Amino acid sequence: MGKLTIGCFASLVGSMSLDFAVKLAGTAMEKGHKVDLWVSGNGTMLSIKGQRAFKDYSFLEGPLKELMAKGLNVTACEACAEARGYHKENTMEGFKRHSMDWYLASTFDADRVLHIGGE
Amino acid sequence: MATTKLGFIVQRPGYKSENPKLAITHAIASQSVEVYLNEGDVVTADIAFIGDGVLNCKKDQKAMDLYKLTSTETHIKMSLLLDLNVLVCKEDLDRFGLTENDIVIDAEEFGAEVTVKVVPFTDITKMMEEVNHLLFF
Amino acid sequence: MKLAAFVSDYRLNVDTLDRLNPEKLCIILVQNGVYHATTKEKGSPSSLLQKTADFYVLIDDLQTRGLGNADVADNVKVISYSDIVDLIFNEYDKTAWL
Repeated sequence: MGKLTIGCFASLVGSMSLDFAVKLAGTAMEKGHKVDLWVSGNGTMLSIKGQRAFKDYSFLEGPLKELMAKGLNVTACEACAEARGYHKENTMEGFKRHSMDWYLASTFDADRVLHIGGE
Repeated sequence: MATTKLGFIVQRPGYKSENPKLAITHAIASQSVEVYLNEGDVVTADIAFIGDGVLNCKKDQKAMDLYKLTSTETHIKMSLLLDLNVLVCKEDLDRFGLTENDIVIDAEEFGAEVTVKVVPFTDITKMMEEVNHLLFF
Repeated sequence: MKLAAFVSDYRLNVDTLDRLNPEKLCIILVQNGVYHATTKEKGSPSSLLQKTADFYVLIDDLQTRGLGNADVADNVKVISYSDIVDLIFNEYDKTAWL
């Protein structure tokens, strides 16, 4: 089994790129792969806790928590988050925050990297 | 000791999108990645500007003066200061009527020793072949 | 290079895909990229489908848009998320999200 690193820079609500990233991460994990998920830029919106599950908007806190419980390693770009007013105290439990080098470090031993750009 | 090579490919102009800036800042982060790795292991980052992305390289950007925002030009200079390999597609510059005189080529004022390389797309393709992973912005 | 390229838009604002010439190429149509597999404009299919590549389209993103297997061009294979994982791990060594 391999390691997949996914970087996603798109926002939580809008393009559905994060929906794709989370679903792909879950599927890869089901197949026995290790998955790291990095969010940067507008993608850091994913890290905020207390997302309300309106049916008109992408809601990923629920599925993400399930995947984190199963071992998904998910990290947000700290600077990108802070620039948007997303502070540590508002971050979902288990969601890590690091500088951009975390993403590059994750690629070091990744078998595959899927980088999904943002808006 | 092992090396993982990344290729950051910038295809779009900046400012309207955060992508080009994030490409450069993430590439620059390759310089501090060792803290997460075993001694001797490294991650390298090459940056290539292609297509409309070459417009990011125009010099004399005034983003700081006008919007108090670090310009893409400055980010490119920072990447040169950190010895990153920065490639710009010659055919795309030609398409826009741009020459080396119009774009960021060096960062001598910061003490950078490497320069931007204006190269044919075939050289950028070669870089893409050689790296382990590609990240398109 | 064996490249799995994801196309997520119908109107592409980059021409990168036209310039790449990998040893092996597949194009995975996701999000609004699925319209390349299903839409004809003035009777002509998407020019993207003329490329020398293996084509795949994600069933979830087809069905989300009211489309299905019957709408998909003959040279495009309908696949699942699970298939995407297998493709990128087993048949291609690099990915590109364009």
